[in-house]
Amino acid sequence: MLGVRLLVFVVLCVVLMVVDARFDALKTVRSQMGLVLTPFYWVADMPVRIWRGATEQIASSSSLMAENEKLKAEALLMQRRLQKLAMLTEQNVRLRELLNSAALVDDKVIVAELIGLDPNPFTHRILIDKGEKDGVFMGQPVLDASGLMGQVVEVLPYAARVLLLTDVTHSIPVQVNRNGLRAIAVGTGNPDYLELRHVAETADVKAGDLLVSSGLGQRFPSGYPVAQVTEVVHGSGQPFAIVRAVPTAMLNRSRYLMLVFSDSRTPEERAADAAEAQADADQKAAAEGAEAAAPAPAAEAEAETSDSEQAPAASSSTAVSEEAQ
Amino acid sequence: MISGRPNNGWVIWFSLTIALLLSVAPMPGSAEIARPLWLGLVIAFWSLVLPHRGGLGAAFCFGLAQDVLAGTLFGQSALPLILIAFLVLSLQQRLRMFPLWQQSMVLLVVLGLAQLVQLWLNTLTGNRPPTLLFLVPVPVSALLWPWVYVALQGLRQRFAVY
Repeated sequence: MLGVRLLVFVVLCVVLMVVDARFDALKTVRSQMGLVLTPFYWVADMPVRIWRGATEQIASSSSLMAENEKLKAEALLMQRRLQKLAMLTEQNVRLRELLNSAALVDDKVIVAELIGLDPNPFTHRILIDKGEKDGVFMGQPVLDASGLMGQVVEVLPYAARVLLLTDVTHSIPVQVNRNGLRAIAVGTGNPDYLELRHVAETADVKAGDLLVSSGLGQRFPSGYPVAQVTEVVHGSGQPFAIVRAVPTAMLNRSRYLMLVFSDSRTPEERAADAAEAQADADQKAAAEGAEAAAPAPAAEAEAETSDSEQAPAASSSTAVSEEAQ
Repeated sequence: MISGRPNNGWVIWFSLTIALLLSVAPMPGSAEIARPLWLGLVIAFWSLVLPHRGGLGAAFCFGLAQDVLAGTLFGQSALPLILIAFLVLSLQQRLRMFPLWQQSMVLLVVLGLAQLVQLWLNTLTGNRPPTLLFLVPVPVSALLWPWVYVALQGLRQRFAVY
């Protein structure tokens, strides 16, 4: 009798596993159960949150606390801007040789908070408090203040699971910021470093090089810092050099993360759009030049163009600050 | 076996829910590797003490819940739990005669088997742990068994669950 029941349940489990692995039929069930079970992470995380709250309370009055919180959010956003700068300045030099103009592309970002870690110590996954209802989607890139952290692998209604860069099943296309050399950075299962695969013995990689995402996998936006090379081992008798790199993101310390909504246009479309915008701007400038012959509105026109330049950045930052609050 | 109508079933579900909560509770850094198999322990207790209350069904339900929490395939952690419930149920009459430390020894083997099944399933889905460290929770759980047993037995008697 007991044996029969065991058989029934085991067969049920195996069928469920196969169906879950091969088909999408159970996705809705999972998301419904996720809706019920996500509070578990909240409750389990509560002691940590209460402790943090208590220490902050002792340290300062409530007004200071609110201000501190606001400043932290601001600092996070500023640091993200800064991250792109290293890559952008390098890239700018290269691009300017090819093009006369480049459109400013800024990604939209929302801030999420870490609410749980994966209970399995051999996988590097975390749970965050933004889900389908906030527009999170499969494969969405996740950052912290200092670099790329990973990507969304599972979306529940009010939570999402993020696979970190260092998980053994994760790899990301990168390039060396100094010279543009491309490589694939693979997770090692060790939270402290990534490895570059199939790097030729003679490749120009040195300890201290910054690796940035190349955007070639069509998943991560290009130009975000990923890791810093710490050692390059050239072993004779081995086909490839062993290159180890430390992730720049604080994978096991960050509590606030950013979800990036990047530009979904292809590079060609982006170039076409940029060219169009440039042509428009030229026409406008010409028209304004003609108008400026009549004396008055020259200063006004100047103000207008500077406004339109700042517009994309401003709109994205307002979106962010809304989310942060 | 104690006769009488089953009552106070919520105590069983409550203890299982707490175990589920503990199995996702954040643990400090390297202690993560030694996280006790809370659900396995509680399932083993109820299968041992109240074998007529359907240990396999509860193991299945909470296994699925754990799968959703851990983001693994449906059934991936339910299967080891069912195995634990089955082994304890089939050894139940002997196990009840044993002193606590001897029960711990038997559970060491049972939980070890469950971890091995878990290892196979993880390997099938491409998440093979690199070392034998995945077995660390087993002795930890076995050491915890006497305390879990005494605590849950107290709870059971307090609420007269049978």
